[in-house]
Amino acid sequence: MKGKRSILLVGISFLLIGLLSIPTFSATAYAQGKPIVLGAPLATAFLYGWTAEKGLKLAVEEINAAGGVTVGREKRPFKVEVMDTRDLEPGVPVSDALLVVEKLILEKNADFIAGGPVRSEAALAAMDLLSKYKKVSILSTGALTPAYHKRVEAEYDKFKYCFRISGEVGWLVTGEFIPKLMDIKAKLGLNKLFIMVQDVAHARATGDLTAKLAGEKGWEIIGKEIYPTGTTDFSVGLLKARKDNAQVILIVMDMPESSVLLKQWFDLKIPALPFGTIIAAAEQPGFWKATEGKGEYCMASVVNAGNAPSNATPWTMKFVDAYTKKYGLEPEGYGASSSYMIPYVLKDAIERTGSLKSEDIIAALEKTDLMGVYGRIKFHPKNHQVIPSVDPAEGAVGTIFQWQAGKRVVVFPSKIAMGEIKLPPWMKK
Amino acid sequence: MDILIYGIINSFSLALMAIGFTLVYGISRLPNFAHGALYVITGFLVWSLIHLLKLNYVISILLALVIMGLIGAAIYRFILIRVRGMATSEIIATYALGLAILEFLRWGGFKGMTYTLPVFIEGSVNIVGIPVDFQRIIVIAVGIVVVSFMWIFTHFNKTGLALRGMAQDEHAAMMLGIDSDWMAVIAMAMGSILAGIAAITLLPLGNIVVEAGYNVLILSIAVCIVGGLGSWVGAILAAFMIGFLQIITVAYIQSHFHMVVALLAIIVTLILRPSGLFGRQKELEERV
Repeated sequence: MKGKRSILLVGISFLLIGLLSIPTFSATAYAQGKPIVLGAPLATAFLYGWTAEKGLKLAVEEINAAGGVTVGREKRPFKVEVMDTRDLEPGVPVSDALLVVEKLILEKNADFIAGGPVRSEAALAAMDLLSKYKKVSILSTGALTPAYHKRVEAEYDKFKYCFRISGEVGWLVTGEFIPKLMDIKAKLGLNKLFIMVQDVAHARATGDLTAKLAGEKGWEIIGKEIYPTGTTDFSVGLLKARKDNAQVILIVMDMPESSVLLKQWFDLKIPALPFGTIIAAAEQPGFWKATEGKGEYCMASVVNAGNAPSNATPWTMKFVDAYTKKYGLEPEGYGASSSYMIPYVLKDAIERTGSLKSEDIIAALEKTDLMGVYGRIKFHPKNHQVIPSVDPAEGAVGTIFQWQAGKRVVVFPSKIAMGEIKLPPWMKK
Repeated sequence: MDILIYGIINSFSLALMAIGFTLVYGISRLPNFAHGALYVITGFLVWSLIHLLKLNYVISILLALVIMGLIGAAIYRFILIRVRGMATSEIIATYALGLAILEFLRWGGFKGMTYTLPVFIEGSVNIVGIPVDFQRIIVIAVGIVVVSFMWIFTHFNKTGLALRGMAQDEHAAMMLGIDSDWMAVIAMAMGSILAGIAAITLLPLGNIVVEAGYNVLILSIAVCIVGGLGSWVGAILAAFMIGFLQIITVAYIQSHFHMVVALLAIIVTLILRPSGLFGRQKELEERV
């Protein structure tokens, strides 16, 4: 008898716990309203994944603390659901990332997809899925391929759900890397370029486009090496660069092993300035310690301002400070500031339209005009790519910095630059 | 000249990675698919001893190698002994163990590029005009020491001779009073220590990432298959073949095909000579 009573008691307790977990029965959740779910498919073991997760969560925390999002007459909080796509790992098939996107939509009931997929190939493949489920997505990290917004423009009705709030290779090369290379040529008298890229779509595209345009503008392209993801030995390639008298090594790699390249560059004293147009390892504040200072003089692009300290807009340092306070280190690289802006941009769009319907949100996002962490945020109405600029008052600005005495010193664009490029001692004549 | 120098360095790196794998297989016929995971775990272990327990680098290395030996022995004593002799189960058990270790490390927060080990000696030297950093020279030195030690140990030490006896004919060795399980425990412990030595020597050249576990396993398997499973001489010869081919590929074709060389070597070997250069176990079947 006693046993039966205990079982009954345990059963009732579980029932009560179960009922309380349902939002309708939960007093706290009811008061806050039903959360607006941001499904984030991210490669969480990699820089571009974890920075995006941190950026998203920081913004959501701030917005919720300030009362949430006004949807019509209701106040509702944001909720972030992160799932690991592992799409930056070598050998992980794109289909795995797609499964994650589908899970977020069907199982986690995501209202929006935010952040990833991170790898360009996976992001492109996910477009059809987003179209199938009519789910608005804002890409903010990893994927840099121009094919993304070109597909939106080519088949607008099908892919109108896809937005990108971060940079893309086309602009990065023409608007940032080439102007910076020309600046290096003019000021430092260097004109021989050696290219080292990772064997992934965006890196190959960046390498090819930069080589073509730099060649047209008077740079001599000495050679190009393509490395599979996960490579840990770059010595032979570096020796090739040295043998051919390269003066600048253009690096496009998002794998963590890219820090090895810089260590080897230092150990072999290669007399060429490392310019990491994309170099995930060098973006992070921990890079200095990880390379024991051997990464000094390495230049790196963090795609959007705010991913390294600067005064691009009044919001930039506020974001940098908030991120540093919450996570104990400065924004680590590409994906942090752009992902941070997603909840704010969505909040703005939702509050203007008063609805969560995809069609309404798309129309509202197309009219977004917000001064954000990295400048003025506006989407191109036909291809949904954030409009870039070198002036934060005009559009979204990028950032190229150089490691100098343990600090990330912004050297491009000139409107937000905080220092000049320095050459390593073994390069000085 | 750079091909010769960096070819030798790359070959010794491969030999160091693979020698532990081939030792375990040669003696106990156990394909240790957790070899890559043991390599990575050593790196994180040394890093943790240095940075969390604030121990001296040398003491951390020695302590890590002792721990690795114990881990290797424990893997055999508590896991592999139960599936010994069942080839498929051995593969599944060791592979699952390797996966579990690597994913546990990832879950435990060991991700990103901030985990590095310091080089033994800072700086580089010019050898006939080619710059080579001291750590790479140490790789060659450690490779020579390890190979020499293994030869001396298996030719002049009682335990080493017993290990060789096991490798040649397990049943005959057992009839002479050699304890098969104890030898397998020693082989696993030594295999783990060798994986650890490879990690400690090679990881200061790069950083410690979980993904390295998979690469090391693939390269070790490639070297062992080409050399002949279980043959130490074959493994060293195969390491030199693959090592030089990789460097020549990078120098004259493209870095992009660096990893393809190892995989292609496996395929070509399996088609032309499945038992590898020095493997004997399938020779008769091949002739038939």
